[in-house]
Amino acid sequence: MSDKPSDLVQGTLDMLILKTLALEPIHGYGISVRIEQMSKGVFRLNAGSLFLAIQRLERDGLIDGEWKSTENNRRARYYTLTAKGRKRLDSETREWGRQVAAIGRILEAS
Amino acid sequence: MSLFRNFAAGLRSLFRKNQVDRELDEELGGYLEMEAAEKMNLGMSRKDALREVRLERGSLEVTRETLRAATWESVVETCWQDLRFAARILRKSPGFTIVAVLTLALGIGADTAIFSLVDRILLQPLPFAQPDQLVAITDWYPQGALVAMRANLHSMEVGAYWEGQELNLIGHGEPVRLYGTVVSANLFSLLGVRPEIGRTFSADEDQPGKDNLVILSHALWLQKFGGDANVIGHWVTLEGQARQIVGVMPTGFQLASATHSTPMRRSTPVQFWVPLHLDPRVVGAYWGSNFMPVIGRLHPGVTLEQAHSEVRAYIPQMRGMFPWKMPESLWASSTVIPLQEGLVGSVSMKLLLLFGATVFVLMIACVNVANLLLARSVTRQKEIAMRAALGAGRWRIYQQLLTESLVLATGGAAFGLLLAVNGLRWLKRILPADTPQLASVSMNWRVMAFTAGIALFTGLVYGTFPALHASRIDINESLKTGSQRSTVLTHRLRSGLAVAEVALGIVLVIAAGLLVKSLWELSQVNPGFRSDSVLTARITPNQSFCADFSRCLSFYSALLDRTRGVPGVEDAAVVNVLPLSGRINAFAGDLEDHPRDPKDPAPVISETIITPDYLRLMGIPLLRGREFTSGDMRPDAPPVALVTASTARKFWPNQNPIGKHLKRAWKSQWTTTVVGVTGDVNEYSLASRLPSFADGAAYVPYGNGAGAGVPRPAEMTLVVRATNNFSNLTQEVRNVVSNLNADVPVTEIRTLGTVVSESVDTPRSTMWLFSAFALLALILGALGIYGVFSHYVTERTHEIGIRVALGAKSNDILKLVVGHGLKLTLIGTSIGVMCAVGFTRFLSSLLYAVTPTDPLTFVIVSFVLTCVALIASYIPARRAARVDPLVALRYE
Repeated sequence: MSDKPSDLVQGTLDMLILKTLALEPIHGYGISVRIEQMSKGVFRLNAGSLFLAIQRLERDGLIDGEWKSTENNRRARYYTLTAKGRKRLDSETREWGRQVAAIGRILEAS
Repeated sequence: MSLFRNFAAGLRSLFRKNQVDRELDEELGGYLEMEAAEKMNLGMSRKDALREVRLERGSLEVTRETLRAATWESVVETCWQDLRFAARILRKSPGFTIVAVLTLALGIGADTAIFSLVDRILLQPLPFAQPDQLVAITDWYPQGALVAMRANLHSMEVGAYWEGQELNLIGHGEPVRLYGTVVSANLFSLLGVRPEIGRTFSADEDQPGKDNLVILSHALWLQKFGGDANVIGHWVTLEGQARQIVGVMPTGFQLASATHSTPMRRSTPVQFWVPLHLDPRVVGAYWGSNFMPVIGRLHPGVTLEQAHSEVRAYIPQMRGMFPWKMPESLWASSTVIPLQEGLVGSVSMKLLLLFGATVFVLMIACVNVANLLLARSVTRQKEIAMRAALGAGRWRIYQQLLTESLVLATGGAAFGLLLAVNGLRWLKRILPADTPQLASVSMNWRVMAFTAGIALFTGLVYGTFPALHASRIDINESLKTGSQRSTVLTHRLRSGLAVAEVALGIVLVIAAGLLVKSLWELSQVNPGFRSDSVLTARITPNQSFCADFSRCLSFYSALLDRTRGVPGVEDAAVVNVLPLSGRINAFAGDLEDHPRDPKDPAPVISETIITPDYLRLMGIPLLRGREFTSGDMRPDAPPVALVTASTARKFWPNQNPIGKHLKRAWKSQWTTTVVGVTGDVNEYSLASRLPSFADGAAYVPYGNGAGAGVPRPAEMTLVVRATNNFSNLTQEVRNVVSNLNADVPVTEIRTLGTVVSESVDTPRSTMWLFSAFALLALILGALGIYGVFSHYVTERTHEIGIRVALGAKSNDILKLVVGHGLKLTLIGTSIGVMCAVGFTRFLSSLLYAVTPTDPLTFVIVSFVLTCVALIASYIPARRAARVDPLVALRYE
């Protein structure tokens, strides 16, 4: 049905999560839904890789987690981007753009 | 910043485990609920949504574990888990644990103790300033040579010292004899050592007139001067000469040198330092006596090779400076070596041998423990298979088994350290006192790091293989059959290990056996005199006391008379040096009818100065001619001498030595007449009668022969043969001396038997050391073999049950097991003997009258070890023979 996200390079997954959080702080399930939506179904994360990435990002200080209540009055952990995370997102995005352009040039060469 | 976060998060996870777990569960659970809600929103029925969610939940368990495992604290947790499990499981089999820990403790303890010796003596730099610049010139040099070198060598600054100077200290309580070192004035500054109080000598203070100074040792300062800091500047009378105290050295400062101290002599701690008295006008002292070791400090930028070339180029010049001709062979092979090597030299070989022995012992210990672990892994097959079936990866199992080995290693190291501390105390007592730096050997952090290191290393060594082997099991096989048997490979391995143990043990026990035999041979040597019931005491008046020789003579005559009057005394005499005491008095002489080329060096004759009763008292037989009489002791009596039988044989073979003459080499006329021949006496050591440089031995009467150049020493040793209890006698002798003259110290009071026994202190201590190791090896070997056979029998219980059920008698079972034991032992013994033949050659310098391949020792040791091994295998064999077949057949 879709590419398994485990095919995603670890760094790329991190980048996508950071981007998602840059738009708006959200909990873990929300991140998963958003990425699926924004990629139009190309990427569908499984819980394992998602939470592994979240743990990594949190321990590296790129995102902050906080317990809050959801709309349904349940408790969930909401994540926000830190300043360091924002900087990392910017640099990763730039780097990604460079790589994509380079690959594009190679593929278009005849 | 992230490092800190990581660390903090991990800590929280470790210490607030429950809370962290709950939070994780909550988060993951919330994820699932939201997912289920979403699916229901999308139209799935509640039932389907929940089912899908349940499927998801399954993988969520894995998610939880994956999340946990990805953190650093999970490694810590698993390690902690493994540790606790290891401790539990080791507690459950106490027999195994005790044997293993004890084995390791013995091996590690021995290694640690010896390593602290090696560390202090061989590895640590000398306790002087910039020790790598310090060098020593080999060989010994007289004062004149030292002065010449000081003036003319540009590559380094040189200094010298002469140990074994004895001076009387009168006027501070009882008169005592002090032992100290005479040093060149620049020696302390050359070494870069500072005094504790006061100062050291300045550069020109070894010239006559400026040298009446003394520096005290810390111990002497405390003992005789009450530790009073105001002692600096005070004057003391040493050997009749007034000297000013200028400094006190720090505690424990010694320039002890195993290579330079007189061999055979128990060295005493240095109590004082005085400067040399460099007077070129006194030719005898300046060029002729008290040759000293020379040390130097290289000038900056100068290499050892440059210094060496300069010294070698200068030596011929120095040789020519003597007022008489010295043989060309003098200093022919002198070199410049680093000071550490010069001071430690002879000890390093022995120490390394010792270290080698401990490595052997440790190897044996490792082999033992590996064997034990291997055997245990067989009985744990089921448990390990269960773990693997539950999902433990091979690596995880390996990690856990290795943790058990490391726990054993830690236990072994802890007990080993305890053993080492005690062992070190014992070692310091039995090692010869002149071992350099012996007093400062201690357990420092370097030694403990070494202990930890070898514990870790041995833990890995003996732990890895059994762990690897055990973790590689086939789950199916083990769980199905349910039997716990080892494979053929394991069997072979364990047998191989047992053989290795026997072999290693044989080598060590043979080495010890050779040393024991050597010591026994030494003790059987007849030294040529009777050493029972004789008390000796050194009487040491100031040398100046004998300036008026008749006073000296009458002092000793009176001493002997009064001593003979003490009840219980049979006989009394005085002698200048006791045999086997490490002191020797010799002269270069000429013997009649034994011509030599003037260019050749003169034969060196050891000269013992005695009173007439000496020979009889000591039980030295007179073989020809006559003994000395009191008439010979008069200064105007013609010089006479007695020679020993071997001297007579050597110089006058097949001739009558009575009536032959001898003289000092530098005299022009024959002065002394030989009047008798005595039996041979071991003057130097039990192993060799005379020192290597002496060619013969003679006796001369005290007080005689001044014209012949015989010295008139003020200090003599009193020998007293008595029948009564010696503690009274000691006091009586002291009383007699102090009544005659209150300023005469009486020292070194010991029985002649003690003198003889102390002369073999070094070989004896070496023997004890090696024996201790051999005993260790024996214990470990026996334990190991017992362990191997114990498991061997346990495993074959089933088979033995079958045999018994089929009609085998217990004797047959015994033969089966012991037969296997015998086979292994014989293989091990052969290998061990072959190795021993190769290794014992390194011991040859320590052996007396025993060849390194002494057949008797080899045979006895092989026999003993074979018996021990057989007994160790017999005990489990008996257990096997009593097996009840019914029980055995049910036994898996």
